[in-house]
Amino acid sequence: MDTAFAILAFITLAGAMDAVFFRNVMHCALSLILFFFGIAGLFFLLRADFVGWVQILVYAGAVGVLVLFAVMLTRHITADQPYQLFGGGLPGWIMGFGTALVVALALIWAILRDPMLARTLKEMPTSKAELLGRQMMEQYVIPFEVVGILLTAAMIGAIVLALEEARKRR
Amino acid sequence: MYVKKLWKLINTWQFLATIAVLVVVAGIVILCVFPKQVGRIIADLFTWFIAAIANPDTAVVNLKHTVLGFFPESWRPWLSHVCNFLPIVAVFPGLFALITWAERKILGRIQNRYGPNRVGPYGLLQPIADGLKMLSKEDIVPRAADKVLHFLAPIVLVVSALLVYSVLPMGRNMTPANLDVGVIAFFAIGAISEVAVFIAGWASRNKYSILGALRGVAQMISYEIPLVLSAVTVVMVVGTLSTSAIVHAQGGGHWFVFTPWGFVGFLLFFIASIAEVNRSPFDIPEAESEIIAGYHTEYSGFKFAIFFLAEYLAAIALSGLGVTLFLGGWQAPGLEWLAAWLPSWIAWVPLVIDAIFEYIPSWLWFLIKAMSLILLMIWVRGTLPRLRSDQLMGFAWKFMLPMSLINILVAGIWYKMVEGTTARWQGVGAWLLSAAILFACYWALSTFGFRQVVKKREYRDSEGKLIATA
Repeated sequence: MDTAFAILAFITLAGAMDAVFFRNVMHCALSLILFFFGIAGLFFLLRADFVGWVQILVYAGAVGVLVLFAVMLTRHITADQPYQLFGGGLPGWIMGFGTALVVALALIWAILRDPMLARTLKEMPTSKAELLGRQMMEQYVIPFEVVGILLTAAMIGAIVLALEEARKRR
Repeated sequence: MYVKKLWKLINTWQFLATIAVLVVVAGIVILCVFPKQVGRIIADLFTWFIAAIANPDTAVVNLKHTVLGFFPESWRPWLSHVCNFLPIVAVFPGLFALITWAERKILGRIQNRYGPNRVGPYGLLQPIADGLKMLSKEDIVPRAADKVLHFLAPIVLVVSALLVYSVLPMGRNMTPANLDVGVIAFFAIGAISEVAVFIAGWASRNKYSILGALRGVAQMISYEIPLVLSAVTVVMVVGTLSTSAIVHAQGGGHWFVFTPWGFVGFLLFFIASIAEVNRSPFDIPEAESEIIAGYHTEYSGFKFAIFFLAEYLAAIALSGLGVTLFLGGWQAPGLEWLAAWLPSWIAWVPLVIDAIFEYIPSWLWFLIKAMSLILLMIWVRGTLPRLRSDQLMGFAWKFMLPMSLINILVAGIWYKMVEGTTARWQGVGAWLLSAAILFACYWALSTFGFRQVVKKREYRDSEGKLIATA
């Protein structure tokens, strides 16, 4: 169990860091997809099978492709960008790392305070998709519908933007 | 000329004879060094063979248990998983070879010519010749190509195509990975192939490759929605995402394809699966006369063979899923309902046919059904012309998506209406209502969805005076 977690955490962190550090933007997008796979693996470790598969289906399959399309459709990407480590100078360096440090400390403090950590489950039951579906339709039906409305609004907005561009072109 | 042929033949026989002698010598050595183990292995295999003739249905599962018995106890857990998946890697590429031969022969006959008929009897060794040709070709990587990604794309594609077989129930108790969320796992692994197609097109640094990859990914995404939505109807009626449970729910000859929503769902699923694997009539991304070879233009030799293999493996996998969801999986078609309707002097005929059907093993039924779907795909390829890119996308978004949404609604209506009846499949009112709604939707979409406003052309002479309109 710990070996699996170590390997998956390594893959996830490597994917996340490479998404920031690679020079070629395509490689960054692809390491982001690797990161999504690592997160899916962590979901499987937590016995959340359904969420793990949906993570692969939605994030690696759809959002990853979306990011790849966005990267491809912006121009002048073919050349490798020079990597600017000290782009903002020393103040940028301090600000960036300082923010990251503050956020990380806050997260660590919040996680260590969690009372769930004291409990140790011997055998974690696998979450069933049926339970998830039932809860989504009975207990959390209003957030479910609100998310649906949000997605519909986003799609309509995209269509309106595309229509305006088509009209302008004519 | 005959001397040259004979010389080549002798060299081939020499090669084969050397291999044969080596195998025999190795066998004798092993027999002498480990007589007891070899005897036990042979006895186990003989027992398996006798049991397999008596009951071919459980033959494959028994073979796996027999092979597992050869190895020490501590190896068995992970070896069990390997043995679950190894037959897929062994069988389905072989099936791919057979399908390529069948496709070329069938397409040839549709086009009023012989297919390949030189390489072996009826051209049966043609796939081997093709494989050897691909292996012996030079592997060319363009200088400006992204080497890592160029290498990675076919690998990701074929791994995704092979991995989806693990959730298909190929026979009774023969699902390699019996997941509770099998259907979602299938589509999730299939979604990876889109990323692989895009990487392939981008890494080649070729305008045609990128265009082909863009079109291919757009097509795959567009047709994935009707594919998943038609699978959702089955999941809704059965109530679980597990593929083996879906097959069990279709027992007794009550395949889902014989219901109105199942029939429409099956057709939508089939058309969407042809589009997902970029086969004709949806093969704009890889059509030779359109875009050279689309996203696999810059791939030569074995990498091209891997793209080819991945496409056919995905086709067989999608056919397998269609069989699982709609055509009853490994269930034999049941005819006992016919026995109730016929007069008694002929009523024994369906029962006898049923008994014969039950003897045919479940994995053979799965293969028969999946191969008939593949034959249907080949038939469609030989018959229909290629769709244009905008026609393709219009078909997906304007016809198949609304149709599949209405299909989900109709499946719900049908399920609720037949829920109370004693035999779930005999609600006549539910049948009529569902069929009526689906037919109305089909008529509405085909009449109003594809209207093209065509302006009449105006023909003018040199002074601008109108001569004619057409």
